[in-house]
Amino acid sequence: MLVLGIETSCDETAVGIVEDRFTLRANVIASQVELHAPYGGVVPEVAARAHLEALLPTIDHALVEAGCGLSDMDAIAVTSGPGLIGALLVGVSAAKGLALAHDKPLIGVNHLRAHVEVAQLEFGELQPPLAALVVSGGHTSIVALEKVGSGGESGDDGRFRQLGATIDDAAGEAFDKIARFIGLGYPGGPEIDRLARQGDPKAIDFPRAMLHEPGYDMSLSGLKTAVIRYLRRLEAAGTEPDLADVAASFQEAIVDVQVVKTLRAARDEGLERVVLAGGVAANTRLRARFAEACEREGLGLVVPSIPLCTDNGAMVAASGANLLAAGTLADLELGVDPNLPLAG
Amino acid sequence: MLILGIETSTGQSSVALVGTDGVVASASLGVARRHGEFVAPAVQFCLRQAGVGADRVTGVTVGLGPGLYTGLRVGIATAQAFAAARDLPVVGMSGLDVLAFQVRHVRRLIAAVIDARRGELFWALYRAVPGGVQRQTDLRVGTAEQLAAELEATGEECLVIGDGLSRATHELDRVGIETFAAVPDAAHLAELARPRFEREETQRPADLLPIYLRHADAKIGWEARGRMQGGAAT
Ligand SMILES: Nc1ncnc2c1ncn2[C@@H]1O[C@H](COP(=O)(O)OP(=O)(O)OP(=O)(O)O)[C@@H](O)[C@H]1O
Ligand SMILES: [Mg+2]
Repeated sequence: MLVLGIETSCDETAVGIVEDRFTLRANVIASQVELHAPYGGVVPEVAARAHLEALLPTIDHALVEAGCGLSDMDAIAVTSGPGLIGALLVGVSAAKGLALAHDKPLIGVNHLRAHVEVAQLEFGELQPPLAALVVSGGHTSIVALEKVGSGGESGDDGRFRQLGATIDDAAGEAFDKIARFIGLGYPGGPEIDRLARQGDPKAIDFPRAMLHEPGYDMSLSGLKTAVIRYLRRLEAAGTEPDLADVAASFQEAIVDVQVVKTLRAARDEGLERVVLAGGVAANTRLRARFAEACEREGLGLVVPSIPLCTDNGAMVAASGANLLAAGTLADLELGVDPNLPLAG
Repeated sequence: MLILGIETSTGQSSVALVGTDGVVASASLGVARRHGEFVAPAVQFCLRQAGVGADRVTGVTVGLGPGLYTGLRVGIATAQAFAAARDLPVVGMSGLDVLAFQVRHVRRLIAAVIDARRGELFWALYRAVPGGVQRQTDLRVGTAEQLAAELEATGEECLVIGDGLSRATHELDRVGIETFAAVPDAAHLAELARPRFEREETQRPADLLPIYLRHADAKIGWEARGRMQGGAAT
């Protein structure tokens, strides 16, 4: 069973091909990072234009990589939300064109669920009960997956139960905004990750909001404001900040919150392992701290390799394959939902 | 020959299947502007009405704009993916050319106009020639005043055809120019494209690009990305 997955929700045009739910056959990404870099963030109209130009060549490239043709596919899967509406529409429209041309089933994929389900390509079937932390450019939430299997008749929907989420900024957004403020390139996450390696994570005691409050919600906008205020204070005093220390301390504060909240959720809810998902799961410090903490608490840890953490087409194909197995197909009227939630 | 036409550059989308003897099937959607959900089911509807499968289509033509950016991308992405998947030749055409073609029997100077939003219009001027129309100018974007001034400066009698003319009624009335409300539609598009397929003046699907005529709005989408579970806009 072969599924082709198309991802155009944000700033990567990506196509993946997955065989029998677990085997990656192709994963091709045309990144737009350079187009958005001058603006320091993703510009929706620029993204939509670039997706349209990149999509056909990316599909071709993926088919060549997998050594197969469109007519070999059993379904065409595409991210239908959440994401930028104009960007999503390019992928969904193209997917419909492909599905129409070869009379193949169409599958609408939830981008966030795909971030989690991509782990099956490297670790096999996800083993519930588990907690997944989805940390990305637009989202930061902790969900539970308790049931085995893929949802059957009712489809996959509702597999994930929401435990907590940021009440303001997403972690990736905080990384990007702070990076922009201190003059690092875009996207900011990898830049801060790199710079932080030369800094002291304990140098500055930035706030960890809601850390000790019960529940699994978190707040990251106060942290962002605190970093900006700290830098302005130094500037006013004519002191050069040690940016590596700032980066390391800021990153540590974010990571602390993620680790504490996720492990608390896993412990309280009796979940046996943790899955890290989304672009920020590429963060070196986050990965290291989770490894340490899960080991200490006797929890399993599932962390996809870095190229499968940031946006990619393989994740859409993997999630699409699960939906196909569960019989959850879309029709040609499939719409896009910029605000599609991870858990219902 | 069976040509699939898709036109989504204005508030009214349409899809048509055109054979050697004319329109075989067509579907159109009014001003609701849900292109995203309309186009693919409409293609399926036309194929079913014609009683043929996708494998019988021999070419795809699509409106390249100028017009509504999102709509254009929906039409072009669908058209080019369909064509690429079936290895079909494509022909991309401006909706302005299609509009002018719709009044090709008029002996006056023709101005084809499409709403550009933000208080502006897209337009180009045409003249009837044997077998169709010929574009006389570049594609332009500007205000209704600018359009009226350009037409007045020609010193000729003109007919203005297009969409979004309510925006320009006042200015055009003032200089005494007749207007005719219309949108480019897929059946006319396919008819106009048919000789190009016959002469094999076609393109490859990946060559199709919208005619934007304006630079992208350089506004970062923090708000658009700030979504339910994380990412309140700041
Ligand atoms: N090494 C890293 N450290 C920290 N953040 C990182 C790292 N690598 C990438 N990121 C961040 O990950 C985010 C991109 O992740 P992803 O591609 O999943 O987001 P998205 O698809 O734009 O958003 P969403 O998945 O919420 O729709 C960016 O904010 C980027 O800065
Ligand atoms: Mg993502």
